Amino acid sequence: MVMGEIQESVNLPENQEFQPKIVAFLCNWCSYAGADLAGVSRIQYPATIRTIRIPCSGRINPLYILKAMANGADGVLVSGCHPGDCHYISGNFVARRKFALIKSLLTHVGLEEDRVNFSWVSAAEGGRFAEVVKGVTDRVSALGPNNGVFKVAERRGTDE
Amino acid sequence: MKISKDKWGQVFDALASDYQMLAPKEDKGEVNFKRVNCFSEVKQGYLNTKLPAKALFFPQHETLFTYQKEGQGITVKNALKVEKTIAFGVRPCDARAFLLLDKVFNNDQYRDPYYCDRRDTTLVIGLACSQVAPTCFCSQMGLSPVSTAGTDLLFIDLGEAYAVEAVTEKGKEFVAKLQGLEELNAEDQVKLETLKNLQTSSSVDISALTEKLDSMFDHPYWDSLHEKCLGCNACTFSCPTCHCFDITEEFRKTEGNRVRSWDSCMAPLFTKHGSGHNPREDKKARWRQRMMHKFNYFVHNNGDIACVGCGRCLKACPVNMDLRQVIDAVNKAELVVK
Amino acid sequence: MSKVIEEIHAAARQLLEDGKVDVVIGFEKGTLPLKATPCFIRSPQEVEKLIWDETCDNNLANYVRQIKGKKAIVAKGCDTRALVVLMQENQVAREDLYILGVSCNGVINRKKIEAETGEILSAELAEGKISVQGMNGSKEFAFADVKDDTCQSCRYPNPVLEDAHFGDKVETGNQEVPFADVVAMEEKSLLERRAYFQEEMAKCIRCYACRNACPMCYCNECFVDCNSPKWLTGGVDPAENMMFQVGRSLHLAGRCVDCGACVRACPQGVDIRALSRKVTKDCLTMYRHEAGVTLEDPPALNQFSTEDPQGFLVKE
Repeated sequence: MVMGEIQESVNLPENQEFQPKIVAFLCNWCSYAGADLAGVSRIQYPATIRTIRIPCSGRINPLYILKAMANGADGVLVSGCHPGDCHYISGNFVARRKFALIKSLLTHVGLEEDRVNFSWVSAAEGGRFAEVVKGVTDRVSALGPNNGVFKVAERRGTDE
Repeated sequence: MKISKDKWGQVFDALASDYQMLAPKEDKGEVNFKRVNCFSEVKQGYLNTKLPAKALFFPQHETLFTYQKEGQGITVKNALKVEKTIAFGVRPCDARAFLLLDKVFNNDQYRDPYYCDRRDTTLVIGLACSQVAPTCFCSQMGLSPVSTAGTDLLFIDLGEAYAVEAVTEKGKEFVAKLQGLEELNAEDQVKLETLKNLQTSSSVDISALTEKLDSMFDHPYWDSLHEKCLGCNACTFSCPTCHCFDITEEFRKTEGNRVRSWDSCMAPLFTKHGSGHNPREDKKARWRQRMMHKFNYFVHNNGDIACVGCGRCLKACPVNMDLRQVIDAVNKAELVVK
Repeated sequence: MSKVIEEIHAAARQLLEDGKVDVVIGFEKGTLPLKATPCFIRSPQEVEKLIWDETCDNNLANYVRQIKGKKAIVAKGCDTRALVVLMQENQVAREDLYILGVSCNGVINRKKIEAETGEILSAELAEGKISVQGMNGSKEFAFADVKDDTCQSCRYPNPVLEDAHFGDKVETGNQEVPFADVVAMEEKSLLERRAYFQEEMAKCIRCYACRNACPMCYCNECFVDCNSPKWLTGGVDPAENMMFQVGRSLHLAGRCVDCGACVRACPQGVDIRALSRKVTKDCLTMYRHEAGVTLEDPPALNQFSTEDPQGFLVKE
C-alpha cells in the first residue's frame, strides 16, 4: 500500500475451543475484594479474565479500554462499587457518566455491544462476581475473537 | 511522438500484470496515488493529487526492520520489500520534488536504502499540466507546468492522445519498447507548442529571497507571522518536498519493529530533546525555521530552493497561512540596521 | 452586513483607543476566494481590516489561551459557547475577555462548492446567493445549500455570552428531531455503521489538524504524543486512526460545542462530527446537558446525579 497499511482481520482457527482474553479493571475497594472473596470461597469461574486493580472505577480513562482492545483483548470488563458506596464518595458517580458515554460511542462505531462490559460488584458479592465473569465470558466467546475495529494488525502497534 | 489514449490504455493494462501500477485514483471525493489494476481506474481531468507523490518513495509509516528475541539471541530482519513499479500521472511539481528529496536521501554521505531502492525500481511517468490554478506558482520556483525534471518520461495531454517525451536513460529504454507510437501531425505540433508555453502567473519572486533571509534571523517580522498558525501538520504532510521523519520502536515483549514515520517541524514536540529542553519552544521559532529551511538553509546546503510551487500547503491550511504572502512580506521587509 | 462590519470596526477602535484591550482577535480577508483568515489587531488604525461574513469559519476561541493580556474577540454563537467552556475550565479569565458577539447565519463549506466547480477562481457573495467561477465551470449556489453541515443543524446561532452584540438575532429553524443525522446513523445496523466508520478512518492521515483547530483540545501533552504509556504509534491504519478519533471524542465528552472547526480543518474530509455529535446527543438525552450554554452549568463529566441512567450495565 502506498499511503498506509490496512490491517487484515484475524481468522478463528477451526476445531479449537475459543478461550477469550478479557481484561478486567476492578476497583480496589469493592470489585477486587469481591473477586478475592470468590477465590477464597472456592467459587469456580472461567479463567478468562486478566485482572488489573485500580483504586476506583472513576480512575478509568477511556483509553485503557481502547488500548486493551488494540492490544488484542477480546473483551473488557470494568467493575466498581455500587453507586452510593464508593470508597472515595463520588468516584463511581463520575464513572457512571463516563461509562455510559463510552459504551454508547463504541457501539455506535461498530464494536459489538457485548465486548465492553460494566458492572457494580461489592466486596461481599463473591458469588455474583463469578456470575458476572461467567456471563461476560459466554457473551464474548459467542462473538469470537477480537476482529479489529480497534485491534492493530499482527506485528504492528506497541504494548509499552 | 505520441500515443493514442486507447492504445496507451492497452499498454497500461498489459503492464499491470508485471508491474505495480501507481496512479491517481479518485476515492471518496479525493484524488490520491493508489495502486490501480487498469487504466480505466486512473482519474482523468484533475488538477493534482491531494497528498503529494513523495509517499511513493517515502511512505508515511514504514517498518524499517523487525526483530525477534530467540533464546539468547536476537534475529533482525530487513522489512524493505520493493517490487518493480510504474508511477503514472506524476505532475511536474511532484516530479521535481523527487530531485530535491534525492539530495537528502541519496548523497555523498549517505544512501538511504528504503528511499533509494524504491526510487531505483520505479519508472516515473510524468503528466504535464493542461491547466494551472491561481494557487499554483511552479514557474516562479524555477520549473513549469510542463517541465521534465524528475521524470523518466513525460506525457503531455493532447486530447485524444498523449505526446511522449523520453527524459532519462530508463525513460528512453521504455519508449523504445513502447508499442503504438505515432508521429505528431501538424495539428498536434500546434497544440503542443501552446501547451508547452503554459506558465503559472503568480507574483511570487524568489530571486533575492535566500540572500534576504541570510540577514533576517532576528527580524521582528517573525513575531507576528506565526500567531494564527495552529501548529497542525496539514502543510507539511501535503508538501512534496517536506521530508522530516521520526524513528520509533514498536515493541511487544519479545519482538518488535523499528518504524519511520512522517514528522513535522510545525509540531511543538518535534525538537524536544530527551532532557526536556526544546530549542524551538514557541511557534515563532517553528515558523521561522520552516521559511529558513525551505528558502535559505536548503539552498546553502544543497543548492536548491526546497519548494516546487504546487500550492498544496496554502490550500490545506485551515487558517489560510499563505506561503506566497510570507515570501512577499520577506521580500518587502526592511532590514533592521544594527 | 456592511452595517454590522462598521459597528464592529467602531467597537474595536474604541476598545483599542481606550486601552481596554491589548488585541482584537477577528477575521480579515484571506488570500483564497471565499476564505477569511484570523487576524490580530493591535492598533486602532488597523481595525478596517476586520470583516464579518459567511466566510469567517474558524473558531477564534482557539487563540485565547495563547494570547496573554486583555483581548477582544469576534465570536459567533458556537465560539461563545467554546469561550464559556474555557472559562469553566479556568483556561481564560472572564475579566480578560471582551466578547464581540455576532449572530451568525452559518458559514460556507468551500469543499461543497469545490466538489461541483473545481478549485474556486473567484466568487461573489450577495443576499443568500453565491456566484462562483471555478476551474471546472461556473455556478450559482443558494447559501443554504453550501452551508457547512454544522450550521445546517445549529442550535445556538446567537452568542450565549457577550459584552457587545452585532447583527440581528437569528431564529433557529424548527428542527423536528434534534441530531437527526445521529439518529439516522443509530438506526443503521451494527455492520453498516462499522463499515461506514472504517471507511472514514481509512481516510485519516493523522495530521492532527482537527485537534489543533479545536478550542477544547489544549492539553500540554496530548495522548497521541505521550511516550509512556505509548497509546498510539504513528501508524495510519484504520484501527489506530479509530482509536485516535474515538479517544479524542471521548475526551471532548460534555465539552464539545459542535462548532465544526475540526471538519473544516481536515484536509481529507473525514466525517469527524459523526463521532462527536453522537457523544453530544448522548449528553443531551441522558443528562439534559449542552456544553457551554451557561457559565453556571459545568461540563457534563464535571457533574453527576444520583439518578443518572445505567442501562449499560451487565445483566448479571
